[in-house]
Amino acid sequence: MSVAAAHSGGIADHIHPEPQGFVRRYVFSIDHKIIGIQYLITGFVFMMLAGLLAETIRTQLLNASGGFVSPDTYNEVYSVHGSAMVWLVIIPIATGGFGNLVFPLMIGARDVAFPWLNMLSFWIFPVSGLMLFSSFLMGAPAAGWTEYPPVSLQGAPGTTMWCAAIFLVGVSSTLTGINFLVTILKMRAPGMTFTRMPLFVWGQFATAPLLMIATTALAAALAALFMERVFGVPFYDPTKGGSPVLWQHMFWFYSHPAVYIMILPLFGIISEVLPTFSRKPIFGYKLIAFSSMAIALLGFMVWAHHMFTSGLAPFLQVLFMVMTFTIAVPTGVKIFSWIATLWGGKIHYSTAMLFALGFLALFTFGGITGVFLAAVPTDLDLHGTYFVVGHFHYVLVGGSLMGVFAGMYYWFAKMSGRLLNETLGKVHFWLFFVGFNMTFLPMHWLGFMGMPRWVATYDPQFQFWNRFESVGSYIMTLGILCFFINVIYSIRAGKKAGPNPWNARTLEWQIPSPPNYYNFKHIPTVYGLPYDFSQPLPYTGLEDELTDSPPAQLTGAHH
Amino acid sequence: MAIAAIPHDAHGEVDQLYVETRELRLQGFLLFLISDCVLFSSFIFAYLYLRNTGQGWPPPGIARLDVAFAAWNSVVLFGSGATMHYALENWKHGNFMKYMWMLIATIILGAMFLGGQGYEYHHLIFDEKVTWAGSGIFGASFFTLTGMHGFHVFMGVCYLTVLLLQTAAGTYTYQKYFGITAGTLYWHFVDVIWVVLFSIFYLL
Amino acid sequence: MNVALLEKIGAIIGGLIVGAVAFYALWKDWKTPGVENHVFKVMLLLLGVGAVIALLAGLGILGTFGKA
Repeated sequence: MSVAAAHSGGIADHIHPEPQGFVRRYVFSIDHKIIGIQYLITGFVFMMLAGLLAETIRTQLLNASGGFVSPDTYNEVYSVHGSAMVWLVIIPIATGGFGNLVFPLMIGARDVAFPWLNMLSFWIFPVSGLMLFSSFLMGAPAAGWTEYPPVSLQGAPGTTMWCAAIFLVGVSSTLTGINFLVTILKMRAPGMTFTRMPLFVWGQFATAPLLMIATTALAAALAALFMERVFGVPFYDPTKGGSPVLWQHMFWFYSHPAVYIMILPLFGIISEVLPTFSRKPIFGYKLIAFSSMAIALLGFMVWAHHMFTSGLAPFLQVLFMVMTFTIAVPTGVKIFSWIATLWGGKIHYSTAMLFALGFLALFTFGGITGVFLAAVPTDLDLHGTYFVVGHFHYVLVGGSLMGVFAGMYYWFAKMSGRLLNETLGKVHFWLFFVGFNMTFLPMHWLGFMGMPRWVATYDPQFQFWNRFESVGSYIMTLGILCFFINVIYSIRAGKKAGPNPWNARTLEWQIPSPPNYYNFKHIPTVYGLPYDFSQPLPYTGLEDELTDSPPAQLTGAHH
Repeated sequence: MAIAAIPHDAHGEVDQLYVETRELRLQGFLLFLISDCVLFSSFIFAYLYLRNTGQGWPPPGIARLDVAFAAWNSVVLFGSGATMHYALENWKHGNFMKYMWMLIATIILGAMFLGGQGYEYHHLIFDEKVTWAGSGIFGASFFTLTGMHGFHVFMGVCYLTVLLLQTAAGTYTYQKYFGITAGTLYWHFVDVIWVVLFSIFYLL
Repeated sequence: MNVALLEKIGAIIGGLIVGAVAFYALWKDWKTPGVENHVFKVMLLLLGVGAVIALLAGLGILGTFGKA
């Protein structure tokens, strides 16, 4: 039984004192909504920096002989680009950002379980980001985002800084995971059973244990690398008896689940946006919810499919190949459920919906190329080529980042009280979508033709498609610039949103935009799923939310 | 230190907010212990992986660890787990002085374990010339894992000392004592990790 | 009397006592409800097992592999 369902006087009735002053309200805030916005702003700033690095990469590859930066700098650039995009952009935005911003509202809670811990998790994150980017000052890591030893053992001093930065951001993730898990388990509103939770909450619920368990395994791997680099303790150095493959096992035991950390919350966002804009109940609610859990569980058993070329025993290769194929089943279940949700719906092509539809197309494509790489025979051929780069950018940019933008266009109204401009949003979508496909689609055949990844110069026969890709990446960047302009413009002059601009049915849309610091004046009672669009809302206790009256606890009328 | 110094809450009841906050803290603390357990598991995996890379164990030139001393030292730590269990039991039954003595016994046994580990480290480093960075994967895995565990024991001893001071100052009541529960959980966790480490390093 | 023998005797007697106490506490707490008590029971079980392992190591039954 949920504790929140217990009688009055408990956490559900407890309201923190109103934060006083700018610093307590916006800087060292313990309010989950403010912390969510802080995560989003910091994440997007890091996205701009890492995006500049991406454009450096594409500019270098305009010519077969390179020439924009030196090969050594090029190694540093793609290493920091990958690390920053994974750990400082997608993971914090998807979990800390949208998670903090939305899911406590969706389950009818006043805050997360440990608000102070939440503030701590946030403030570790920008510090570790600055540490990662400052590694350029002392010679950045140059062995790719995976930092395989022995190359990373010989890397510049910045590699040690990389270890420390990723370790810290991992601590932040672990704390967030614990916090979210306890919140979802214990702080749901009365009547909010597990099978009545919105699917975004299910996404976070499946992600939280991954954050908690997988990230700790990465912390161990990083600590060992740190000790080896600083104190010379032999874990990975084969000349001293260590094993470089050990790093690969420990790293991928984290980093494969990390792929699901980067996609499960976005699955949640898509599952909210699609039914809202097709005005239809989500198809297969339980299937989508439980397949998230299945993906999270299976995600721990497939890590070695990244290591088919590292000398794995053949029976293990087959085992990991089959396990990896198994993951396609719950993922396929989700995709068919989403398509069935659209089927026969009254589709409203808002920008958020466009991004959700784009997500469906591009993520499915990326998932299918993933099956190529999971099969041992094709992987032996394609490993280390641009096919891999194309594949994971389809999943992480076409999947995760599209989901992030869908969430931004959907929930910007809730966090700021104003709508993002739809015209500029559509320009953003089309530039981004076209540019994205121009950039990453040719990588697949470049990979088949044998262009290796992680090289600063390449064979001249690949030059045409590389130039084509670079032009595409500039178009994509223009799209993202539109987004930033849109945010800055709309936050000042956007259309007033009102509490529920999309006529959505989850709890966060039933209260004012932006919500009061105590979220709900009275904790609502929940009677059903939020997706039955023809029915009355399944909540009671929300009558006062849109009036000016303060909550009962603050007027002393309580008890 | 009189028993009367520990106040009972008014009407012998605790408020709903405390009950619910305690549940949250308990769950959060258990999840923290799980993630800590994963940290140890990862290093244990690393140790077992390196051990099986084919040079035999212990690696050439390194003697087997002293089982007899480690067995005795383990019993000291396990004994502290038992005393901590009875410290909490006595607190639950309102036996203040018995609780204090059991807690003090736990702290002493924990410190004895740390002393024993220090003695063992001294013997290894200075008599057998086995060091953290200079003895290949043996030194790396042994000193990293036991050192990490020793650090946890040290933190536990500090925690229990703070608990001792807090209870003497009257921080906890017989109704509200989550700090003592958390301390007991942590201490048991540290003991149980040692069961695994002792088995895989000294006996395997 | 050498030190190693003393250590072994200590491990045997201590292992007996701690194991007995741990299993007795486990038996006594067997029916306690609540999350933390379930965790305590698992911990007590493992503690008892640990004490038995230390006892066997003191007796020389465990930990002698590879010693010719």
